[in-house]
Amino acid sequence: MSEKYGVKVEELFNTMEDRFRPEGAEGVDASFGYDITGRGKWKLTVKDGSMKLEETDDLSGCVAVTKADPDTFVGVNIGEIDGTAAFTSGKISVDGDVSALGSTFKLFKRFSPPKKELTVGEYILDMFGTLEARFQPRAAEGLDITIGYDISGDDGGQWTATIKDGKCTVTEGLVASPSLTMGVKAKDWVDLMLGKVDAASLLSTGRAKVGGDMNLAMKLAELFAKYTPPGEEEEQELLVLKRIISVGQRFATGPVMGKYLNGLKEKKIYANRCPECNRLQVPPREACALCRVRCEEFVEVGPKGNLRLLDTAYYASPDPLTGETRETPYGLCYILLDGCKGQEVFAHFMRDDQLDRVEMGWNEKKGTILRPVWAENRTGKVSDIKYFEIDE
Amino acid sequence: MKEGFDTTNCFTVHGKLALPYSYFAGRVGSKFLTTIRDEKKIMGIKCNKCNKVFVPPRQTCDVCLEDIRDNWVDVQNTGEVTNFTVVRYDDKHLPRKAPYVLAMVKLDGADTSLVHVVEGIDVEKAKVGMKVEAVFAEETTSTILDIDHFKPA
Repeated sequence: MSEKYGVKVEELFNTMEDRFRPEGAEGVDASFGYDITGRGKWKLTVKDGSMKLEETDDLSGCVAVTKADPDTFVGVNIGEIDGTAAFTSGKISVDGDVSALGSTFKLFKRFSPPKKELTVGEYILDMFGTLEARFQPRAAEGLDITIGYDISGDDGGQWTATIKDGKCTVTEGLVASPSLTMGVKAKDWVDLMLGKVDAASLLSTGRAKVGGDMNLAMKLAELFAKYTPPGEEEEQELLVLKRIISVGQRFATGPVMGKYLNGLKEKKIYANRCPECNRLQVPPREACALCRVRCEEFVEVGPKGNLRLLDTAYYASPDPLTGETRETPYGLCYILLDGCKGQEVFAHFMRDDQLDRVEMGWNEKKGTILRPVWAENRTGKVSDIKYFEIDE
Repeated sequence: MKEGFDTTNCFTVHGKLALPYSYFAGRVGSKFLTTIRDEKKIMGIKCNKCNKVFVPPRQTCDVCLEDIRDNWVDVQNTGEVTNFTVVRYDDKHLPRKAPYVLAMVKLDGADTSLVHVVEGIDVEKAKVGMKVEAVFAEETTSTILDIDHFKPA
């Protein structure tokens, strides 16, 4: 029954109303469903800056229904699990409008589990368990002493702190004739350590007894750092900004790249020829990259050609037009299209399942012959050729 | 463009690049931002060796490389523009509609400048040396925009 993170699914839903932020609900008018495996279904309706939550099997009318197992749902809500990761790995699924769900993230303050008050016995164990760690060597310079703690009551016990050579060791039980002894009830000791009562009032009412070196008793506060209950150390809020950067792009083809891309629509691959050095450029460029003169003669090349070089890419950089990353490994091939010679190669993708079947060439005659596979709908993009495959 | 240029084949390709991005502000950056958000207070970090106060704060001094992460100091909400530019184009990711002033503001008590928006002044009248004051955002986002902008002081 108990969740992996010590928080019950029901607690999350029960506290929704308290955690609701009306300012985050501005402009939200929708119902959201939650289907938590084995725990039930909840329907959250947000309208006019207020919310209504009902436990119901009827999740009709919800713009989005979130499905998750209890551990994942709790983990994401208390920040133990990254929501995006849970979503991409399928641990959380959403039926309906995923983007609408985004508005729910601003609706609630984060759930923080209620603090559990320790029992007197637990406090005592924690206080003595942390005594060594709270020891302040600087205040103990030159000291060679033992301090006996005699804590009475059911939750009590006896401990001895031995301080010597700037080190402190805590052992169970009392040693014979310690430098300082303190006798007090467990409950009073806990209250003293938590600052609920002061030592003077305990001593004056006889509820605490101190034996041995009284000067040492005055020094105790310096010898040990103040006790802080577990979980009360201030935890810093750490900020992570997560965004999907969306960049609109416009690429103006110009007349030369335009001629080439328009050619692809008709399954034609155009190159252009440099009037000075006579070489072909494919795809064509406004000017010859070597001679820096305008190239205005277009020549149709290909569509078949021989493979000169195959690169296998294992790390895919994002597609500059969409940001999507392709599956790896994939093949980038450099092809000498029919009509081209020398280094006039054309780069494109190679059919995935043929990567290991091709042979690279080193002149016009060697190398596996490839042919383009054209896309059904061609719109004047490089992807109008899907990839090249073996011409067989 | 050259007269009589053949534009028959010219067209435009549209694309939309979506890049998932995650920025961790770090301990120092987080404290800087949460203090602005929760206490409407701007803090810097001082290098005691170089006697230099960094706003935005740094974990290490950029002069002597000393670890200074715990030396938090308060600085004023007022300061002076040390440099600025006028942004004259609109884009979705920009914090304001163009034209607006994007300035480097050296707060009183700080030795380095913070980049932010200056509002409430004609963009043509922005000047290096002008006094400005922070205006905190009413609706917070846990980002540097929890200082909504700077206004002339």
